[in-house]
Amino acid sequence: MTSDKETWDVVITPKRMWLGLNLKELRQYKDLIALMIRREFVSVYKQTIFGPLWFVFQPLMSTFLYMFVFGNIAQMGTDEIPQALFYFSGTMLWTFFATTLQKCSDTFINNAGLFGKVYFPRLTMPIAYVTNAFFTLLIQFAVMLVFYVYYLANGVQFSLSWWILTAPIYILQLALLGTGFGIMISALTTKYHDLRNLVSFGLSILMYATPVVYPISSIPMRWKALFQFNPVAPVIEMFRYSLFGKGSCNLKMWAYSLIVSVVVFLLGLMTFNHNEQTFVDVV
Amino acid sequence: MGTAVKVEHLSKEYRLGVIGNGSLWKDIQSWTAKLQGKPDPWTKINEESRIGRRDHFWALKDINFEVQQGERLGIIGRNGAGKSTLLRILSQITAPTEGVVKMRGHVASLLEVGTGFHPEFTGRENIYLNGAILGMSKADIDRNFDDIVAFSEIEPEFIDTPVKRYSSGMYVRLAFAVAAHLNSEILIADEVLAVGDVKFQEKCLGKMKEVSEKQGRTVLFVSHNIGAVRQLCQTGALLDHGKLLMLDNVDKVADEYAKLIGQ
Repeated sequence: MTSDKETWDVVITPKRMWLGLNLKELRQYKDLIALMIRREFVSVYKQTIFGPLWFVFQPLMSTFLYMFVFGNIAQMGTDEIPQALFYFSGTMLWTFFATTLQKCSDTFINNAGLFGKVYFPRLTMPIAYVTNAFFTLLIQFAVMLVFYVYYLANGVQFSLSWWILTAPIYILQLALLGTGFGIMISALTTKYHDLRNLVSFGLSILMYATPVVYPISSIPMRWKALFQFNPVAPVIEMFRYSLFGKGSCNLKMWAYSLIVSVVVFLLGLMTFNHNEQTFVDVV
Repeated sequence: MGTAVKVEHLSKEYRLGVIGNGSLWKDIQSWTAKLQGKPDPWTKINEESRIGRRDHFWALKDINFEVQQGERLGIIGRNGAGKSTLLRILSQITAPTEGVVKMRGHVASLLEVGTGFHPEFTGRENIYLNGAILGMSKADIDRNFDDIVAFSEIEPEFIDTPVKRYSSGMYVRLAFAVAAHLNSEILIADEVLAVGDVKFQEKCLGKMKEVSEKQGRTVLFVSHNIGAVRQLCQTGALLDHGKLLMLDNVDKVADEYAKLIGQ
C-alpha cells in the first residue's frame, strides 16, 4: 500500500530485453572495466622477456613478410605509398578489426566459468576487448609515425590535406564493425557452436577481400562490384588516403560502410542483450 | 525491519538432452509455427503430456518465500533439489522461467571462491580483480586491503607473487578473505566453505555471523554441512524436487531433512 514498501533495488523477472543499454549500471562497474582491460593487456606479455614489445613485433614481422611476398615476388603495387607504410598501416588496422571481432565472438564461451558464477554487466568483457585492441593499435600507430617521419626525412612527398582529421573516424568505425559482428556472433554461438569454427576461417578469407596487401585501384573492373559489399574495404582505403594522400577516395562506398557499421553494432547489441540472461543454460 | 528478499511463484524449466541437430529441428518447427500464427508444436499442454516425452524438466516449481533484513536463511535439501538453481536466479546469473524476485539492497553472491582469479596475477592484483568482479569499487578495496590480507593469513611477502605459485590453501584463504569484506546488504553463498581446512571454515562462519549481526546483513546460505547451517542460520528452508517443503526455525528444518535422508 505505502509506496515505500514497493521500492526494490533489484527486480528479477523472466522478461528478456532487446534494446536498452544500461549505462548507469556500466558506470557502477567502471573499476571492473578498467581492471579487465588491464588484465587483458598485461596477460599478453606476463612472464615474457620482451614484454610490451610483443605488441610491435607482430605487425612488423607481417609487414616484412608482405614486403617480400607481395611487394617483391608478386610485384603488386601500393598506390605509390612506400611499401613499409602501406603494409604496416593495413595490417595494423586489420589486426585491430579481426582481434576485436574474434575476442568478442568468444565472449560467452570463454567466460562461461566466470559468467556462471557471478553477475556483472556482460558487456564489460566486449568493452574490455575492444579497448585493449585499441591500446595495442595506439602503440602500433606510434611505430607507424616513426616510419612516416623516416620517409619524410628521405624526401618522400605526402600530399597532406584536411582529410587527416578524419583518421579517428575510421578507427571508430572499425571498432563498431568488429564489436558489432563479434557480439552478434557470440550470442548466436552460445547454442550452436558451428559458427565459431567459421569465424577464424571467415576472417582469413575476408582479409584477402579487403585492401590490406593491395590497393583497391589494382582490382580488375569486373570484381569491383563485389568489393562494394565488404564494409571493411573502404575504411582501410580511406584511412590510408587520409594519412598519405594517395589511393582512392570513394565517398559513396564509405557512406555505405558507415551505415553498415552503425546497423551492425545496434543489431549486435540487441542480440547480445537478448541472450545474456539465459546463455548459461545453453552454452 | 523490512523485507530484504521476496520470492513470488518462482519456477525454472530446463531442456533436457543434447543440443544438436534435433534441437535445431525443433527450434525451426517452433519458429515457423510462430511465423504462421499456429501454436508451437513443442509447447507442453499440461503435466501429463510431458511424462510421455520428457525433454523438459522443472528444476524449481512455484517457490514463494520472504526473507527479512538481517535474517540468516539456510537452504538445505538433497542433491538436485534445486538449491543451486535458486541461488543462480537470485544472483542474476540466469533468468527464471516464471515468477518474480524482488530484493532491497546491494546483492553480492559467492557461488565459488576465487571467481575471476587470474593465475598469472599476483595476490595483490587478484584482490582488486576479484573484489571488482564481486561488485566492490576500487576505493572499497583500498580501504579494506590490509584487513583482507590479515584475514587471509598470507604472509605479506607472498602478496606480490603470482597466485599460480600459491598452495591451494593459500589460494582459497585469499579468495574467501576478499569475499568476507564485501559490504553488500545481501550475501548469497553456495557451498563455498567446502574447501579450506576446518579452522579456517570456523573463522569464515564466525565472520559471516559477526557482519550479519553487527551490520544487519541478510545472508542466504547453502551447504550440505548441516552443522554449519545450524551454527550460522536462524531459519531454514527445505527444498526437494524443486518444491519448497518447509520454511521454519533452522533446527526443525534440519530435523525434517534428517528424516528425509533417513528414508
